[in-house]
Parts: sequence; C-alpha cells; structure tokens
Amino acid sequence: MSTVALKTLFIKEVRRFSKVWLQTVLSPLVTTSLYFLVFGVALGSRLREISGVPYIQFVVPGLVMMTMIRDSFLNTSSSLFQSKINGTITDILVAPIGALEMLLAYVGAAMIRAMIVGSLVYLVALTFTWFPLHHIGWTVFFAVFVTATLAMLGMVAALWAEKFDHLAIFPNFVLLPLAFLGGVFYSIDLLPEPWHTVSRLNPLLYMVNGLRYGFLGVADVSPVASAGVVLISFLVLLGVASALLRSGYNLRS
Amino acid sequence: MKPPVLRCRHVTKRYGKFTALQDLSLEVYEGEIFALLGPNGAGKSTLIHCITGLAKQSQGSIEVLGFDTMRDFRTTRRLVGLVPQEINYDPFFTPLESLMIQMGLMGVEPNRERAEDLLKTFALDEKRDAYTRTLSGGMKRRLLVAKSLVHEPRLLFLDEPTAGVDVELRRELWQEVQDLRAAGTTIVLTTHYIEEAERLADRIGILHKGELLLVESRESLLERHAGRSLEDIYLELIRKADGRHAA
Repeated sequence: MSTVALKTLFIKEVRRFSKVWLQTVLSPLVTTSLYFLVFGVALGSRLREISGVPYIQFVVPGLVMMTMIRDSFLNTSSSLFQSKINGTITDILVAPIGALEMLLAYVGAAMIRAMIVGSLVYLVALTFTWFPLHHIGWTVFFAVFVTATLAMLGMVAALWAEKFDHLAIFPNFVLLPLAFLGGVFYSIDLLPEPWHTVSRLNPLLYMVNGLRYGFLGVADVSPVASAGVVLISFLVLLGVASALLRSGYNLRS
Repeated sequence: MKPPVLRCRHVTKRYGKFTALQDLSLEVYEGEIFALLGPNGAGKSTLIHCITGLAKQSQGSIEVLGFDTMRDFRTTRRLVGLVPQEINYDPFFTPLESLMIQMGLMGVEPNRERAEDLLKTFALDEKRDAYTRTLSGGMKRRLLVAKSLVHEPRLLFLDEPTAGVDVELRRELWQEVQDLRAAGTTIVLTTHYIEEAERLADRIGILHKGELLLVESRESLLERHAGRSLEDIYLELIRKADGRHAA
C-alpha cells in the first residue's frame, strides 16, 4: 500500500469539500437547524414527551444522524462521479493506487465532513436544549460505522451512475424517505400495525435509534440490535465497494 | 541492443464482440521516440490505456522494464507517465496544487520546488495560483504534460498531445519531447500529423483495426521507399489493409 498516495488522496478530498464549505458544511447546517427550529422548538413546545424525554431533545439525535447520513453519502458520490465525468479520475487510475487506498481516502474524507456537520448541528441544538451525552461509546460507534457505511454506498452509487439523474435517485428517493420514516421525528411505538412492523425493515431506523440511545439513553430498538444491523450494513457495503473498485467497474474499460 | 522498456506480447482487447486490439506484440527500447500511427479507431488509445492501467487487456501480457502491468501495477505505474488525449482538469485546484497532488498520488512525497520548476519549464509559473478553469486551452494542455512528469517517468505516453493545438504550442511541445528524450525518457506518442512523426520518431508503428501492420525504424522505412514521404507510405499500407479486410 502506498501511504503517500493514500495521504495525498485523503487530503485532496478533504480540501475539495473545504474549498466549497458554504455548500458542503454551512448549507446542511442551516437546513438541519431549520428542521430543528420548526420541529423541535416551535412544535416541540406543544408536544408531550416521547419515550420519557422532551420532544425537543428527542429530535436532536435523529437530525444529527440524518445530516451525517446525507453528507457522508453526498461527499463520496459527488466527488467520485464528478471525477468520472470530467476525466480527472485518470489521475488516480494511472497512479500506483489500489482499491484499498481509494476506499480509505474517499471514505475517510466523507466521514470527516459528516462528523464536522453532525457536530455543528449538535452544538446548535445545545444552545436551545442542553443535555449531556448518555453514552459516549455508543455515540462514537454509531457515528463512525454509519458514516463509513453511507460513504461506501456513495462510492457504489457513483461507480454505477452514468448520469446525474442516476446519482440523484439515492438521496432523494431512497435516503430521505427512509430517514423520515426511520423515526427521526417520532417513535415507531406511536405507529399502528402493520406500520410498526414495516418500520423495522428500514435499516435507517436502527442508525437513528442507535445514535438516539447514545445521546439520550432511550430508543425504539436496543443498541445491540441497532449495532448488529449497522455492522451488517457496513460489511455488505465494504464487500460491494471493495469488489467494484478491485474489478475497476465503470472505471477501467 | 538494450532490453526493451516496454514489451507487449500477444495483446488482445475485446469490448463485447468488438475486437479493439488483435494479438498485438510490440517492443519499445530505452531512449527512443516511438510513434504509433493509425486512423481513428485503429486501437492506439486502447493500447496506451492497457499499458497505463486505464483498461485491462483481454489476453496477452504487457511488461514495463520487466514488470507485469497487471501483477506489478504499483511498480509499472511509477515508471510510466501519461498525457491523455482529452484535456481534463480539476476545477477545485490551482496548477501548483494540481502538480503537488499528482506527485503524492504517484507515490512521491510532494515537493514544492519540483512543482515550481515544472511550472517554469511549461511557462505556467505566472498562473501557478490561478483557478485551473481560467487557463487557456494551450495552458491546460501544458499542465497535463507537466502533471505526467511529476514522478520523472522512464516511459512517457503522449496520446495525440497536439490535437487542436496551435502551431506555436505544437512546436514548443515537440521541443519539450526532444528535451525529455535527451534526458533519457523513452517516449511513445500518437499523432495524426504524420510529418511530425517523420521528423521526430526513431521508430514507427502503424496500427489499423487493432492490428500492427508495420514496425520499423524511420530511416529504413524511408530508405526502402526512396523518394516517398511517410504520409504516402502510411496511406498505401492503410489502403492495402482495407482491401484485405474487404476481400
């Protein structure tokens, strides 16, 4: 493995999103803060507690996780896809860089972006409702593995996509609906059957609830079950992304 | 004779049912300028892509300085540089940053001094901190050449570097090619300007429909066809091959 190449590609990817920080950091921070203001502050004051915690606190981990899911996906997918479209992927393909370095560099940079934005959303929330993290270990676990998983999904999407419309399918028609239906704003215990059971088929439910347990100590699903689903998702995406990169799928003809 | 820098053995490349390269064998020797000629779609870029890692051959083997391009790809890619046919640039980075990044990607610790030297060599030092998208077409082309040299490759591929380039820049580029050869770099180039190949190349290969029709030194080729230009010889070979394919 070339550590110089890995370090360079990682720094390049971090600098890429840093150079357009208004779009990559500030924009999601503002959007998510607006969600928080509307659902948490404005409506939250009229809603009763959910799962034993004030509603304004209940939505914070969901919003943080929704932001991290979206940003980690968007960072890898947009960067890799744009490189394919504008031809600069050639710079990487002719370099002595293997699939592992590509995966680590792209995923690492996406995780950094997602963690920065997620942390900022959390800090904004704290100015409205202060609460300590219930379990730092679970919080870090879910933040790390979920952002890595979604970053790898972003790479898979970018490799598969042949036009911008293909790429837009994932954030708009898959991730956003699944995040909204994954208990960001409500507990699935409030849902009647069969929707309660159907919701359990949504992997993002476990991601949101995993972080909620880390933040607040309450969740619709046990942290162990959430960790299991997240780990399985991580391993599946790791396998798929590695295999596609090793084979040069839609990169090397 | 010195051992070959590049050795292609029975290389075939298929895209589905289409055969882009057919059982191609070729050797390129240290310090020479080898011109690969052929009409559009002959397979020139496909061959270069197979050697540089942008494509994978379906059959056969390719070695650079004795290292297999598939098995020892990390070694061979350190030895090879590529100036691609299409101009590409990363809009996020300046020419100086682009060179520093490319050094790192090629596994060389980024060196600002080396990057600045390359910018001077290619008359880009005044634009070192400009957004790459604001560079003229010629400057972008020169930046591509500079990027291909950041790791001091032993074997450099220039895939139609003068396509769409004005006369002045074309002369500058060919002067740079000659300087690189004088410094010991082996060069393989493709071009549609046959008179350029006639002036620059030590050996010439003519590729048509994925098959190598001829590989010969420029001197002996012109000597064998006394009084005729390389362009005439080239056209005759292509027409004969087309006649064979039609029959």
